[in-house]
Amino acid sequence: MRSRRRRLEIGCRIAAFAVLGWLIGTSLMPAAERSLERATSRDIASRLAAWTRLPPAVALHADLSTAPDPYVADWLGALRHAGHAVAWGGSPPAVAIAADALNDPAGGVLIDVAAPSGAEVTVRDAASAIDSVRVAALGATMTASIAVDSIVAESRGQRFSAPVPEPARVRAALVVGQAGWEGKFVARALEERGWTVMARFGVAPRVEVTQGSVASLDTSRFSVVIAIDSTIDLLGAATLERFVRQGGGLVLAGAAGASRAAASLAPGRFGARTRPSALPPDTIGLGATGFYPVRALEPNASVLDQRAGGVSVAARRVGAGRVIQVGYDDSWRWRMAGGPDAEAAHRAWWSRVAGGVAYVPVGRLAAEDGYGAAAPVAHLVERIGPARATVQRAGSRGVDSRILMAIIMILLLTEWGSRRLRGLA
Amino acid sequence: MSGEFVFATAQYESGDWDSAPLLPANIIDTIARYTEITVAPTGVVVALSDVRMLRYPLLYLTGHLPVRFSDAERANVRRFVERGGLLFVDDHNHDVDGIFHKTATEEIARTVGPLAELPNDHPLYSAFFKFDGPPTTSHELNGWGDNLVHKHLLASMRGNRIGVLYSNKDYSSEWNYHPDTKRFMSVDNTRFAVNLIVYALTA
Repeated sequence: MRSRRRRLEIGCRIAAFAVLGWLIGTSLMPAAERSLERATSRDIASRLAAWTRLPPAVALHADLSTAPDPYVADWLGALRHAGHAVAWGGSPPAVAIAADALNDPAGGVLIDVAAPSGAEVTVRDAASAIDSVRVAALGATMTASIAVDSIVAESRGQRFSAPVPEPARVRAALVVGQAGWEGKFVARALEERGWTVMARFGVAPRVEVTQGSVASLDTSRFSVVIAIDSTIDLLGAATLERFVRQGGGLVLAGAAGASRAAASLAPGRFGARTRPSALPPDTIGLGATGFYPVRALEPNASVLDQRAGGVSVAARRVGAGRVIQVGYDDSWRWRMAGGPDAEAAHRAWWSRVAGGVAYVPVGRLAAEDGYGAAAPVAHLVERIGPARATVQRAGSRGVDSRILMAIIMILLLTEWGSRRLRGLA
Repeated sequence: MSGEFVFATAQYESGDWDSAPLLPANIIDTIARYTEITVAPTGVVVALSDVRMLRYPLLYLTGHLPVRFSDAERANVRRFVERGGLLFVDDHNHDVDGIFHKTATEEIARTVGPLAELPNDHPLYSAFFKFDGPPTTSHELNGWGDNLVHKHLLASMRGNRIGVLYSNKDYSSEWNYHPDTKRFMSVDNTRFAVNLIVYALTA
């Protein structure tokens, strides 16, 4: 019968050979070398198929100078869910893009871009380049009169895109006022821009010139009401408020700021008319002859334009709708007696004012086209988490071979010492 | 007041632009009498060669003599009409063979485009008072001019609106009197002027 010491010596020898065998085995098996797979921005897309066939114990790490296309991020996310330890490192530029339809019958897209300050961003659609801009304070805005397919931006090698939105389907604009040049030319400017315009102009007691049917005021027919003066009171305060709270837009132009019916909706109070100290030479601009400043602004009102005499344009939300107060009461002079582009500028300005508050029914959401993400870094973080310096492997940490060698040495020394103490060689 | 209507008479270099001096005050009186339109108590005279004519989107032009615009006048009139102004031209001779008619229609065609008959159901004729067409004037058959009752006014259109309105009716003679004279009339013969101004201000 073997003694206890003899069994210890045999055990030590077996253990030493077992550890040695494992070390030799792991050094010979290629799988041991694949415990961490790495890729860069350039080759990550081509590596995904091979990564998918690896056992879950293999960790995956991407070194990214630019954020990958959305499908790559989605694929990495899927690998992560399949049990791989997936991580990424690097500092791709944090960029984002959004495209919204302008509330303008002439169409157009408003493009907002976010990028690091100083970055040069080029924007194009499927047809051609749209614009380029150097970002000043983390963001820039541009408009495109027309855009095809997708709007794709590029900055520092990073591509990001947004689908072209569906055109806004604005409804009619109702212009209300006393017969006069301002009402006539506001209505005309909107019509020329493509708006369906209905009008109600007072001419004499109980005599009005109307264009279109203005019987009922609701958002199923009208997107915006433009009041040229206080004759808007004839519509009634309750009707106006209901329209705005439903989501309709209201523009209070010039003396309409004194309307009693719209008093609870207005962004501010109506001040005394301010006139510039010197009239310009005969190329008249907006507000060249003065304006009614908007005073005593409501707490939720925003100033949109300001002149030396005070606030000239302000806006606020009321219920689901918006109200904008425009101090200018003779913008028609700008159109008639302004510079060479005054007519087009007048048209675009009034369309922008009306579109800024107009009710637009929510349309079909534009489909993602898979061409790129609107915010690629955010998309990547959403899929596989924030950047990490090294990959962390769950449950399969490797053992340092030097420690294993030390264990072998200890086991063999123990056996040898035991044998020597027993007097054996 | 910034939004008031100012009756403006066009002054041109070639002819007798001031041949109806009482007309502006009479029309201003008519506007004040029938409407709530804020109207300046006196009219103005503006030279077509001066860009300040663009401050008055309705201009009245008349005369007996040849109409030949200078280059500056022509450029301003063209810009005026393109931007939405309405030029009302009345032949003070009421004579289709007269020198005013021949030269004015030629000049209008050259400046803004040809004139065509305005249908008698055009919104101009129902803008305030109802008319079946241009009201006849007592001067059409007074032995002067062409002795014709003109059934239509002529117009040069810009889209669906009137850019230039041309009349052979001689409203310049018909309306050229002191406003107080209206009290002796059974029917005010200036009522069509209200339509013209309401149309200009609303169409």
